[in-house]
Amino acid sequence: MTDTRSPRPFLAPVAALGAMLVLASCASNAPQDTWKPEGEYAQKIQDLQWWVFLIAGIVGVIVFLVVLFAVIKFRDRGQAIPEQSHGNTLIEYAFIAGPAVLLAVIAIPTVSLVLELNDTADADCVVNVTGQQWWWEYDYPIDADGNICGFAPTADAAPIVTSGQMIIPTQAKVVIRGTSRDVIHSFWVPKLNGKRDMVPGRVHTWNFQANRPGIYAGQCAEFCGLSHANMRMEIVALDDADFQAWIDNQLEPYQSPAEGTLAAAGETTFAAQCASCHQVDGLTNADGELIIAQPENRVWSGAAPNLTNLMTRNTFAGASWDLLIDQCRDDVWEADPDKFGERYLQGVAPECLNQIDLKEWLRNAPAKKPMYADPEQLEETDGLVRGMPNLNLSEDQINELVAYLLERK
Amino acid sequence: MFTTGSKLLIGSAFAAAVFATAYGITQGGALGTIGLISAALALSMLAALNIMVRDSNVSAMDHAAFESSPAAQASARPSLWPLLVAIGATTLTLGLVTSRAFFILGLVAIIAGGLEWLVQGWSERASSELAYNASARNLLADPLELPVAGAAGAAVVVYAFSRVMLGLPNKSSTVVAFAVLAAIVVASGAFVGTKRGLSRAAMTGAFSVAIVALIAAGAVFGLLGERATEEHHTTAYIAEENECGVAPTEADEGASQTIGGKSNLAAEVIFDGSTLTSKATGFTGTFDTLTLPRSNSNNIAFRNDSGDVARLVIEMHPLENSDGELSGAERLCTALVDEGGVQLLTIVFDRPSRAIEGGYEFTVPGSDVRLEVVVP
Repeated sequence: MTDTRSPRPFLAPVAALGAMLVLASCASNAPQDTWKPEGEYAQKIQDLQWWVFLIAGIVGVIVFLVVLFAVIKFRDRGQAIPEQSHGNTLIEYAFIAGPAVLLAVIAIPTVSLVLELNDTADADCVVNVTGQQWWWEYDYPIDADGNICGFAPTADAAPIVTSGQMIIPTQAKVVIRGTSRDVIHSFWVPKLNGKRDMVPGRVHTWNFQANRPGIYAGQCAEFCGLSHANMRMEIVALDDADFQAWIDNQLEPYQSPAEGTLAAAGETTFAAQCASCHQVDGLTNADGELIIAQPENRVWSGAAPNLTNLMTRNTFAGASWDLLIDQCRDDVWEADPDKFGERYLQGVAPECLNQIDLKEWLRNAPAKKPMYADPEQLEETDGLVRGMPNLNLSEDQINELVAYLLERK
Repeated sequence: MFTTGSKLLIGSAFAAAVFATAYGITQGGALGTIGLISAALALSMLAALNIMVRDSNVSAMDHAAFESSPAAQASARPSLWPLLVAIGATTLTLGLVTSRAFFILGLVAIIAGGLEWLVQGWSERASSELAYNASARNLLADPLELPVAGAAGAAVVVYAFSRVMLGLPNKSSTVVAFAVLAAIVVASGAFVGTKRGLSRAAMTGAFSVAIVALIAAGAVFGLLGERATEEHHTTAYIAEENECGVAPTEADEGASQTIGGKSNLAAEVIFDGSTLTSKATGFTGTFDTLTLPRSNSNNIAFRNDSGDVARLVIEMHPLENSDGELSGAERLCTALVDEGGVQLLTIVFDRPSRAIEGGYEFTVPGSDVRLEVVVP
């Protein structure tokens, strides 16, 4: 009887896995590809790692070939043990000196680059970046000259607070001052620079520079809890004129929706349901007093995204979902650099709004993004939620809120 | 035929069966009947076992049994370890209804006594020579006993010592007492060193007296209790009492004038006598405003480059709830900082600047300087 079983049953799965890995490297749509730098710092890292990988590769191949040679030539055929060599001073010195020299050759440019990447002097723009479960907040301080990132606002300067997408001027040296409100996070936008941990109680600085206008995707790179995988970020680079327009737009005063509209009803609903955590600058209560959100009373991290200009962004919920439908999103992502700013600054038009994901989020946020928001499981946090709880909104309230938020730009 | 022991057990089993029947018929109590039937069964089983081993009697004809039978084996020597186990069991039971400490103590006593008893029993089977058995026991037990006993002894000495130290009325008397004690120890050592002829008994006696004296002193001071701890005001206290002014306070006495090199600063605030400026991490140059994030700890270093002492103060404007309780401190301040000194102030803002009339600002009492703090 012939044995039809393969003599190497594990070969097929191993080969399939290898083929999959090789094919994965061919992906064209890879916005977090660390091998495709788009900025000065990422380019420097790549310039170094090519050489390091080359040297490591050569060493690896040599070692592999020597081992292979020894395995084949001296395989057990019942022969006597081959002649052994002990105490050869020359060989021992060579085996010590060789790797030492090699490591020194690699260490000099590596340490030099590490120092260079950490040099935050002479920044063109400074942005405060604060991580919390599971989103990033960005605030733009006013500099000594009353400017923001070196750009003079046409209106009175005030700090801009946003989230999800960090907007920077193209070509500018941007320094982030990063920290965290709860656990350790790590800020990583591979096409612009390496990773930098954001640690509670500490301020860590890091540089970014983008060569051309566009969107650069990133991902929290330090496991930070249940929705770590959903803690994303994007850096949006705009040319100078567009960045100036973005600043001016962010500082425009609040405008209430027209009376009698669905959005006006949404404003009331927002004030009642959302404004205790989410700040909308300029929103007032029935007595005309400014509503100041107090997320400290509801959320473990003490913060919730500022939604003043939500629809000038392309993403929501920690940059996990797009505010734009696919076609409109592609129009922005795939725009030529000279058209990118114009497209991006259009924000979210009604016909482009991704209502499905936004409404799902408003309907039951923890069902869409895992969060610690079950009121019965909040003993450890004194009843404070981590993430956004289910507000049990009615469909009418959701429609009103969507209409209201659509005007926040 | 039936041995004496067997007869006793058979009779007892029969009696238990009879009593069970009588009790069951006359009293009708199920529990008592079951108990008596159980006793009858147990006694029957023991009787059967006894018949099988014939009361462990050795036949006069069986010469080999003279040495191999259990009765011919040497009985265990008297031991105090069962007493420790019994005390442990009592303490453990006591601990179940009183405190966890008794329970743990009882558990430790049971485990320690049980292990020692086992090791003793094992060593006594090693041979018929007592000296050899003792050495076998020590070979096994010493590596465990000596470190444990040493640690326990050291713990008693340290604990007694600590009670004495904490019981002395103040720092000065503590220093004096232990200087005297140290001198006695050194003098005793020197004396022993010069008198090599001292007997072992004398040394052991002197050492034992010292240990007993220390334990007794520890017990006395332990019963008397620790000395009262002096309370010193902190900057939090003077802030709460609204004493963050130019006048020195108790909190300023001996206040540190430096901060750790690892202090991770959000910004440095510098007072030069006429201006208050900030240098923020990541920025180049100095500023007359400072932007700090909300709902997070901000470590601020206050550097006093003026020619006089100075203190940094910030009003926090806490919210007041319906019961009149404030959401946090009304103000924060550093201790007085000497010329060239630095102190750290950690601040958490729970509201943005725009929620507060006039916003947040750093001030230095005794001067007109101000530094606006912008909280987005």
